[in-house]
Amino acid sequence: MKRVGTGATLTIALATVGLALAACGGGVNEASSSSAAPAPAESSAAPAESSAPAETSAAPAPADCGDWGIAMHAWVGYTASAQVLTNVAEDALGCKITQTQLDEAGVTYDAMEAGSVDVIIEDWGGGRWQEWVDRGAIEEVGYNGNIGLIGMFVPQWVCDENPEITDGTKLNDYVDLFKTPESGDKGAWLEGPPGYTTIGEKIIEAYDLNYKIINTGSEPALIEAFTKGSEEKVPVLGYFYEPQNFLAKVPLCRINFPANDWTDAAKASGLTDYPETPLVKLASVKLMDSGSPFATLLTNFEWTNEDQNQVALDIENGMDPREAAQKWIDAHPDVVAAWLEGTGVS
Amino acid sequence: MRAALRLRWVQALIVLVTWIVLATLLKGVQTQELSTATDSPFTAMMRDIAASIRGNRTESFLFVYVFNPIRTFIAGFIEFIMGVISVPAEGNLIPLLGWFGTWVLIGFIVYATSNLRTAVFSMFMLLLCGMLGMWLITMDTLAMTIGAVVLSLIVALPLGVWAGLSDRVMSVLRPWLDLAQVLPTLVYLAPLALVFLIGIASATIATMIYSIPICIRITAHAIKSLKQGPIEAAVSSGSTRWQVLTKVQLPMAKRTIILAVNQTTLAALSFVVIAALIGAPGLGKPVVEALTIRNVGDGVVAGLAVVFLAIMLDRSTTAAVMREEQGFAASDEQKARRRIGLAIGAVITVVAIYLSRYVLWFAVFPEQLNFGEQVGAVADAIEEWITSNLDFLTVGISQWLTVWGLNPLEGVLANSPWWLTLIAITLLAFILAGRTVGILVFFLLALVMATGLWYDTMVTLAMTLIATAFVVLLGIILGVWAGRSERVERVFKPFLDAGQTMPAFVYLVPVLALFGPTRFAAIVLGVVYAAPVVIRIVADGVRGVPKESVEAAISTGSTTMQVITKVQLPASRRSILLGANQGLIFVLAVVVIGGFVGAGGLGYLVIVGQSKPELAGKGLAAGIAIVLLGIILDRIAQGRPQKQASIGH
Repeated sequence: MKRVGTGATLTIALATVGLALAACGGGVNEASSSSAAPAPAESSAAPAESSAPAETSAAPAPADCGDWGIAMHAWVGYTASAQVLTNVAEDALGCKITQTQLDEAGVTYDAMEAGSVDVIIEDWGGGRWQEWVDRGAIEEVGYNGNIGLIGMFVPQWVCDENPEITDGTKLNDYVDLFKTPESGDKGAWLEGPPGYTTIGEKIIEAYDLNYKIINTGSEPALIEAFTKGSEEKVPVLGYFYEPQNFLAKVPLCRINFPANDWTDAAKASGLTDYPETPLVKLASVKLMDSGSPFATLLTNFEWTNEDQNQVALDIENGMDPREAAQKWIDAHPDVVAAWLEGTGVS
Repeated sequence: MRAALRLRWVQALIVLVTWIVLATLLKGVQTQELSTATDSPFTAMMRDIAASIRGNRTESFLFVYVFNPIRTFIAGFIEFIMGVISVPAEGNLIPLLGWFGTWVLIGFIVYATSNLRTAVFSMFMLLLCGMLGMWLITMDTLAMTIGAVVLSLIVALPLGVWAGLSDRVMSVLRPWLDLAQVLPTLVYLAPLALVFLIGIASATIATMIYSIPICIRITAHAIKSLKQGPIEAAVSSGSTRWQVLTKVQLPMAKRTIILAVNQTTLAALSFVVIAALIGAPGLGKPVVEALTIRNVGDGVVAGLAVVFLAIMLDRSTTAAVMREEQGFAASDEQKARRRIGLAIGAVITVVAIYLSRYVLWFAVFPEQLNFGEQVGAVADAIEEWITSNLDFLTVGISQWLTVWGLNPLEGVLANSPWWLTLIAITLLAFILAGRTVGILVFFLLALVMATGLWYDTMVTLAMTLIATAFVVLLGIILGVWAGRSERVERVFKPFLDAGQTMPAFVYLVPVLALFGPTRFAAIVLGVVYAAPVVIRIVADGVRGVPKESVEAAISTGSTTMQVITKVQLPASRRSILLGANQGLIFVLAVVVIGGFVGAGGLGYLVIVGQSKPELAGKGLAAGIAIVLLGIILDRIAQGRPQKQASIGH
């Protein structure tokens, strides 16, 4: 009993001494703190640059950008867009950006309402944020320039061997091709991950297709399935989308369903194929009302599917997202300059 | 006795055969299958509740005066700890303590609470985390763990003491404790995020929900099982009740209370990835990010850091427990030596903290020692080899098992009329676990039916049962092997530790590459996670078989096989049953994650409910269904024999 007492007392005493000691001196922090140093001391800031975590970049802090949070969603294309936006905001505008890994939609909208996240740079779901807009938490900031095309795909070789298969209404002729132990007597229809817009159930119903929906649950699950399908010639029918640099590595072929007949609005409302979706930028009302140049940058941000694929491919090949984004930024000064219009920085 | 037992098995067999025959005849009739996008009345109600909570968060009394202050307090507390060891203040390079100071300080604390050897071991484990390039992120997790442990103890200790002193309190608490133990982690995410929003607070509360019941149970048990002698002596010498508690009972229960710390710590670590899913910092973050770009190497690196941290925390707290057990016998000389050791350690620690504030090498973990990339590359190469060379094997096993095991089982459970399954399971519960459990199971199944998610629940049940069968089989084979030979056990130990603490998300991608998006992939996830527990419990049981009976069998000329089947297995029957029960609950917790790998069922609904606001109701209802399923399985598995206190992990 006594000895433990001594140990505990010592620990507490030590902690007190240690903390007191730690609190009074500036130490290495003094050298790295940019506000304390009157002149930008290159030499002392250097170690900070190289060793500090990415989120706390030691950029010069101009007056009025502020601290903002960007939601990070679980697909590479998103990472590409968000990282380019982050780099420009931090390096050109001196904003402090925090990236938070979050699930899509609901969770993130809640976070935006709570004030911990301010930006979604790429949202696919048409208007599912309306409830939050109505409550004055979220604002739409227009399109980001990427066009999303969702669809049902098969590996290219399946199309090569069965040219007719691209006509989705005839999918019932190919049920045997896609049978697996998971789907039993029906063909396996690998549906998109949760959170992604999916209408597989409606398509199957509309054309009376003899397919069973397998909810893949995550993007890696789909990618692994298509990779195997391509490399080992296993027939796979699954959900996929563009822009996605994966298509450059593993060629897929889209199954097309009849487009909606908009002359009959009642019919068209029951979607029969995925339409092209311009992807949307969302921001917290707090950010848009703040007058921060970051809001202007976000409003101006716009790039193409090809741009995003370049950055995403570098990231997937193992490049650090920050470096991959910077590589693209350095190669496209004119695009970035256009984004910065109206922010007072060039 | 024996005849009664046999009669029971015959009855169970009759029910089973009738069930299978009827299910085959009535295949596909009244299965209650519901498409993902469709709501049942119950899920629609849950959706409306979720929406109204969202809408009221800013104004409602409950939020303004209860939930939001709790959130602010918890987040503030954790952020304070993080400010000391992991998060630099605005414009600073390092937290309050540099890495070296933190490292030595932790070593000293371990030394002060246990012994030098454990301290050195702990520091080595932490160094490994740093060498994986994860120092600050590991400290994030450590800070959250410390915070969660402290907060859990603040809540659980008084309740545990109270429950230990009063049987009435215990009987009120017990159902809640049971419930919390079968509650899979993924289930509380959505409701918690709804109330406490995403971030540190929700992650910490999730951990507390899991660890507080364990703490209460252990503490209550400790207080209750104290020897009455000293207490009576204290009472008769005129001590007040409060004095008895603080001067006699609490000190005597100290050992068990440290055990509670041990369990809470491990619980907190099992939450790292879940925490990352709701936006909290820590080691889960790189794991989830690596999953996004399917970078197995990065995921393994972060996963290894989790394993090392878990081993370090487990060993150091266990050593503290042991010290409490043995410490009293030390001689004066040893005491003096230790006092000198502590003084020297204290001086070294102060110096280390000082250095870590003023010398860059001691402040920021040196880049030269970072081997994360190399480790990642090795892991990538191993993964590449496994997925390209072993898949002929895996595809065969997975397809065979799906066609001959999973599909028929699912056919009986899910693809037959719901009322048939309900009646059959209830009857089995009656026969195997008695009338009380039978009635309980009937009501719980009726509740499952009321959620409208009957079909998905049965799909999940089928996966859980198959995975549990695997787990128990593995557990018996490997457990007996480890129980019979200490050398084997020593070889197993690191793998068991890793299997139990490595987040499932780390091996999600290789499992997907091997098995594709299938229910079998989910089963594999469950087996990897649950098998270590069962192996441990079985090995423990086999080791506990009296030496004399084993030796007697050998001397009468039994072969090794006979010794195992005739002596060791029957004698450790209790352990095997306990192992099966624990395995079942562990499997259920992970089968939910199977929703991420195409297994469908309740797990998928929980996940989809979180990302699609229009399906939020289904997600919440699926969470409830998982809980109901957990209780049902737990009750049936515990069967007739008396319930055992299952403290092990």
